[in-house]
Amino acid sequence: MLPYILLSPLVVFIGALSFVPTVDTAVEAFFRISTLDPPTRFTGLGNFRALFASSAIITSWVNTAAYVVIGVVLSVVLGTVIALALKQRFRFRGVILALVILPWALPSVVEAVVWSWIYDPTFGVMNSALHSAHLIGGYHVWLGLDRWLTIGLIEIVQVWQITPLSALVILAALQSIPVELYEAARVDGAGVVQAFWRISLPMIRPALAVCTVEALVLSLNIFDQVYILNGIAPLGSSVMLQTYVTTFEDLNFGGGYALSLLMTVATAVLSMAALALLYRRPEAA
Amino acid sequence: MTVAVRGERTSRAVTRMAAGPFGQAFAGRPGRVLGRVVMLAIILLWSLFPIYWALNVSFSTLSGADSTPAHYFPSPLVSASYRAVFGVGGAGNGISGQLGRSLLNSVIESGGAMILTVVIAIFAAYAFARLQFRFKRTIFASVLATLLLPAYATLIPLYRLMASLSLVNTYIAVILVYVSGFLPLAIWILYNYFNTIPRELEEAAFVDGATPVGALLRVVIPVAMPGIAAAAIIAFLMGWAQFLFPLILTTDLSTQPVTVIVAALDQQRVVPFTLLMACGAIAAAVPGVLALVLNRYIIQGVTAGSIK
Repeated sequence: MLPYILLSPLVVFIGALSFVPTVDTAVEAFFRISTLDPPTRFTGLGNFRALFASSAIITSWVNTAAYVVIGVVLSVVLGTVIALALKQRFRFRGVILALVILPWALPSVVEAVVWSWIYDPTFGVMNSALHSAHLIGGYHVWLGLDRWLTIGLIEIVQVWQITPLSALVILAALQSIPVELYEAARVDGAGVVQAFWRISLPMIRPALAVCTVEALVLSLNIFDQVYILNGIAPLGSSVMLQTYVTTFEDLNFGGGYALSLLMTVATAVLSMAALALLYRRPEAA
Repeated sequence: MTVAVRGERTSRAVTRMAAGPFGQAFAGRPGRVLGRVVMLAIILLWSLFPIYWALNVSFSTLSGADSTPAHYFPSPLVSASYRAVFGVGGAGNGISGQLGRSLLNSVIESGGAMILTVVIAIFAAYAFARLQFRFKRTIFASVLATLLLPAYATLIPLYRLMASLSLVNTYIAVILVYVSGFLPLAIWILYNYFNTIPRELEEAAFVDGATPVGALLRVVIPVAMPGIAAAAIIAFLMGWAQFLFPLILTTDLSTQPVTVIVAALDQQRVVPFTLLMACGAIAAAVPGVLALVLNRYIIQGVTAGSIK
């Protein structure tokens, strides 16, 4: 009996507040629910058809794909670079590590507000710095004009926040590689670059897979940064932003459920696929 | 046992790597040292510049902050924004009241969620790590599977549930939703930590007649304090950072956390940005200081299990 008593609070919480709502989403997505225009009735694929007739929704899916590609690639590459730079022991390494994880610990909304003033066309330091370095001729409006530039700059804000997590995970993997492997490689005449490709990279592959999936799930569901830096304009909007607008501004709950369901399925399928493709334990250690 | 042995080998490998082939190579060549210093400087600039920039603006006068080209140091350096935000001198435009109350709400919501999450997770993780029972694998796998669900998959149903229970705009709704979201990660961290504790410790307690719960409370929990601290800090930081859930679950200042208030002040577009940066700095100060002081536990928590 004891195990079940110890687990009962967990089962109640996860059951009532995670599983039931997820199942509820999967059911309600096929109903027409509008608080402005009752009654609720079964509509089959009606919600989905309405969603994909909307150009704003389609734009948000394409945008989200761009957020994911930029977010996954940049955070994994930067995370690896930071982990490699912090691999060896040196003075102040602990202090630097503590400073590097700071962006991860702060609220993303506050970070996005700060970045919005960095990107600001008149007061922003980005214009000022690029102009001082003679990289741009005049001050630019960075956000809200060009779609892909807007998406790239917003995703950088998310990458800035999530990269420390990747760096920590990759660093832990790097540090668990037996030093004998590097010694053997050196005896065989391998240089630093070769040692990285032949030893480090295969050995940290599971960590890279974990980082990829984490970045994938986070960027697929990007909301805070888009809400602050793009607002509800379709130009840079993400699927989560459209879910919020559809549900809580248009009060079309059925449509919101349908978008949520699609996003849940997309997240599950893509993260499973990423794990299946990337997660491979190194053969001999 | 095997876990302890593995941990020992890892730490030995780490110590040896410090003096290992690349360590010596670095020590011997000034070019390499310079290269690494430049590399670390770039990494620190990338990590800290936006934070520095927010502080720089928050300590500037409005005219100093909107000068062209930008000032990289506050000139003149003033604390007027902070005094206004804290309501000193009465020039805060009502911001001080909003910020103060929302900080209190954030403390209650993140703190409440942290305590509830950790207590529930300790008992559950202990059952998963130490006890045998039917459906253990199924329950454990289902709990961890929710880690792969998008955080907002349950947004709409949870809002409607709280609305039907008349709990919208209450601390209880916010805390319950946070706990359901934070439990899987906390359990994962604690489960991995419990597995590093030798079973012999509890077996000694059992010989003395302790029950499993007694052994958990008197033997395991004291030894697992670093793991528990990691789970607690990470839960608190996650709670403090929440935005979309409180955006829909809270409707006025009686429960709105500081993230929602900072976003609202930003959207109004009337608050001077020097003042806004001061608000942001204050909102980020609690998690920032926690992360700097307790980074050891955070690092241990977020890397726990991820390398397995």
